[in-house]
Amino acid sequence: MDCILTIDINTSAVRIHAFDLSGKVLGMRKGSYPTFHPQADYSEQDPEQVFITTLYVLKNFLNEQIHPQKYKVQAICFCAAMHSVLAVDKNGRPLGNAVIWADNRAIKQSKMLKNSPEGTSIYNNTGTPIHPMSPLAKIAWMQQQDPERFNQAYKFISLKEYIILQLTGEYLVDHSIASSTGLFDIHQLKWNAQSLSFAGIDKEQLSTPVSIYFDEVGLKKEYYKSLRLASTTKVILGSSDGCSATLGSGDIRHKRATVTIASSGAVRVAGKEFLADEQQRFFNYLLADDYFISGGPSNNVGVAFDWFTQQFGNFHQGQEFEQVREELIRDAVYVPAGAKGLLFLPYLLGERAPIWNANARGVFFGLNITHEPKHLLRACVEGILLEMYSIGKLLGTQRSFDSISMTGSYASVPLFAQILTDIYGLPVQVNTQVDSIAQGTALIALTQMGYFSGLEEASASTHFTGTYSPDEQNHDLYMKYFEVFERLSGKLEEEFELIAGLQ
Amino acid sequence: MNHLLLLQQGQAEQLRHFPYITELVKLKIQNIQLNSFNIKTHSELRVGLITEGKFDWNIAGQGYTLFPGDTALACPWQAIGSTKGIMDIGTLTWIGIQPEYFDVQGKLQLGTWSGISESEQGVMGKILAMNKTPVLTRFGAGATILQSIEYEIMQQEMGYRTRVNHLLDELFIEMVRHLSKAENFRRDFPQIFLKLEQTLRSNLAHPWTVEEMAGLVGLGTTAFTEKVKVFTGFSPLHYLINLRIAEAIKLLRQSKHSLTRIALETGFYSSQHFSSTFKKLTGYTPRAYRKNQ
Repeated sequence: MDCILTIDINTSAVRIHAFDLSGKVLGMRKGSYPTFHPQADYSEQDPEQVFITTLYVLKNFLNEQIHPQKYKVQAICFCAAMHSVLAVDKNGRPLGNAVIWADNRAIKQSKMLKNSPEGTSIYNNTGTPIHPMSPLAKIAWMQQQDPERFNQAYKFISLKEYIILQLTGEYLVDHSIASSTGLFDIHQLKWNAQSLSFAGIDKEQLSTPVSIYFDEVGLKKEYYKSLRLASTTKVILGSSDGCSATLGSGDIRHKRATVTIASSGAVRVAGKEFLADEQQRFFNYLLADDYFISGGPSNNVGVAFDWFTQQFGNFHQGQEFEQVREELIRDAVYVPAGAKGLLFLPYLLGERAPIWNANARGVFFGLNITHEPKHLLRACVEGILLEMYSIGKLLGTQRSFDSISMTGSYASVPLFAQILTDIYGLPVQVNTQVDSIAQGTALIALTQMGYFSGLEEASASTHFTGTYSPDEQNHDLYMKYFEVFERLSGKLEEEFELIAGLQ
Repeated sequence: MNHLLLLQQGQAEQLRHFPYITELVKLKIQNIQLNSFNIKTHSELRVGLITEGKFDWNIAGQGYTLFPGDTALACPWQAIGSTKGIMDIGTLTWIGIQPEYFDVQGKLQLGTWSGISESEQGVMGKILAMNKTPVLTRFGAGATILQSIEYEIMQQEMGYRTRVNHLLDELFIEMVRHLSKAENFRRDFPQIFLKLEQTLRSNLAHPWTVEEMAGLVGLGTTAFTEKVKVFTGFSPLHYLINLRIAEAIKLLRQSKHSLTRIALETGFYSSQHFSSTFKKLTGYTPRAYRKNQ
C-alpha cells in the first residue's frame, strides 16, 4: 500500500506522520530537542541535533513501522516553525546555533526599523510585522553585534532549509517560510531589496525561493539507500507550521478563524487578500493557490498557565507537574465564570498581537478581600482566552468569520474550549484525533500529487470530532470583562514601560 | 561553648568500631568565642544540623544563613566555616564521615561498612558532587537519623554496630534523594529534562548509565525511562546516542581531530563502536561523512 510521510520540524520536537493517499493518519513518531537560553533574551537550537534527531526518528519510524507493514513511501513533505535563522559557511557548516522565533535579542534593531518610513514599506511588501522574531531583525543584529560571524556567513537559512540542505544538498526555501522572514516580497515572490539592504546582505546569501509544491530535487543517494526508500520517492518542500495548521483545520473557503492554543498561540484566517494594517498588527504569510494566512501571534498562552501551575499549584509529596496542572484545570471548572470580578492580563513574556508591546507585563486586576486562590486560577484561564479573543476581534474588523477551529494541545481540554466559545459567542470545533499541522502538510503533498484539485478541495476533506456551543449568558458576561481587559491593556502602556525598566 | 556530646576519632572509645566516623558533636553555644569556627576544608564529608539559633556560615565560597531545621552539607573539597570565624549562639549537631574515596568528579566509595551497591554509590557521589545548594531545608529525616546514630553509639545495645552502619547508609540515601527532588520541585518534565541534558552535554565522554541519569533528576529508573520516552520519543540511552552523534558531526566537520579522539570525546568506547553507530544512523562512515562535506 502507498503512503506519504510528513516531517514537522517544530520548536520542541520533530514529528513524523504517515498518511495514506486519502489523507488518513497511519502512524506517528516524534523526537524532541532542546532550546537553549545562553542569555535572558536568547533562544537557540543546535542545528546538528535537530538534523540528527530528524534522521534518527525517520529511520526508526521507517524500519519499525513503515517497512515491516510493506508501505511504499510515495513522497516526503516538510513543514517547520517559522522565523529561525542560521548562518552557514561556504561548505554549509553551521556557524554556531540557530536563533529561533522566541529570541528577542534584536529588539533594538526592530524598534529602530519599525519607527521609520522604511519599516512601513517593508511591512507592506513582506507581510511580516517588524519584530525581533523576524530573521530580518536578527540578521541586522548579527551585522552590528556579531560581525565576525556575519562576515563569515555564506548564507543565512532557516532550520528547515538546513535539514533540506543536509538531505538534498540544495539551498531551497518554500514561499511560506520565506514569507515569514521579513525579507521576501510576498506580492512579487522575490527577495525584497529594501529588506536586504537593512539586513546588510545580498540575495545570493539567501536560498532560492520556490513554491511549497516544489519537488525537483531528491534525497542524496546515500539517504535513499540507508533509509531503504525507492529512488522515486518524491521530496516535496511543503510549508510552515502556521500555514499548515490553518489548512489542516477546516475548509479555507469558509468564514472561519483558527485559534491555536499551545505553549504559545495564534489566531489565523485564510483568504485571498492581504490584510493591511497601519499599525502592523497582523502577519500575512503565503500559502499557495493565491491564499494568504493572516493573523496575530500571542506569547502568553500555555506558558502563562504553566507559570500559574508552578507558583500556585498544590505540590504535595510526589505530585508531578503534569498531574498538578490537570488538577488545577479540574478545580477551575467549578469556579463560576468571571472569577468574581477578577481579571488577569497574561503578558508575562511581553506580548505580540494585538498590542505588540515587549514591555507588557502580567496583571491581576480587581482583587478584593473575598478573592481566594481559586479565583486567581479561573481568572488566569479566562485572561489567557480573553487575550486570544482580543486578537480575533481585531482580525474580525477586516475579515469576518462565524465559526472557530481550535487547534494545539489545549484543544483537547474541554474547559478551555468552552470558555473560548463563550467569549467569542461562536461555535468552536475541534479535532482531537489529528495533528492539524501534519494534516495540512499531508494535504499539500496530496494536492501536489494530484489527489485533490487544489488546496480548497483538500481543506474541505478535514473533519471535526467535537463542537462546543456558546452559552449566551456567559458570552454577555465575558463581553463586560473584555471591555475592562481591552481598556487596561491599552491604558497601561506607560506603566508597563516603567515597571519593565525596574525588572 | 558547651559540648552536649563530643566524640572524636582516636579519642572517644565509642568510635573505636567506626573508624570512618571522624566525629559526632552536639554543641550548645551560649557565649561567642573568637576563631572557634574558621572557614576551612576537612578531609571528610560533614553534615551539620541546626536545632536552635541562627548561624551565618560560608560553604564552598558562598554565604548562607541557617535556621533551626536546616542541614548543612560540605564535601571534602568544600570549605565550611562561619563568616565571622565564630560559632553563633544556638544548638547544633554534626557528624563527620570519612569515605574510603571521594573526589570532586563525584567518584565515591564509602567503604566496606556500607550496604549500598558500588554503582549506586557512584550515582550518589555524582549527585553530591554536582549539588549546588549545600543547605538542605525541611530535611526532616536528617534529625531523626542523627538522633538514632547518637543513641545507638552511646547505648551500645545488641547489634548496634550494624544499626549504626545502616543508619549512615540511610543518611546518605535520604540526603541524595532530598537533593535531587528539591532540585526539581515544581518543575515540569521538559524543564527537568533540559537541565539533565545540559549536564550530559557538559560531559559527553562520561559513560552515563540510566541509573545515574534517573538519580540526577530524582526519579526511579522505571519512571524515568518511561517519562523520557514519552517526552523525547527516545529511550534514555538512545537519546544519549543522539547527543553523541550530533556532537561528533560537529567535530567531524569543524575540527581536524582524529576519529579515535572524536569517538572518545563524544563518549564512544572505541572508534569501531563510533563508526558502526554513526554509519547505522547516518548512512555514512565518519570518514566518508567528513570527506563528503
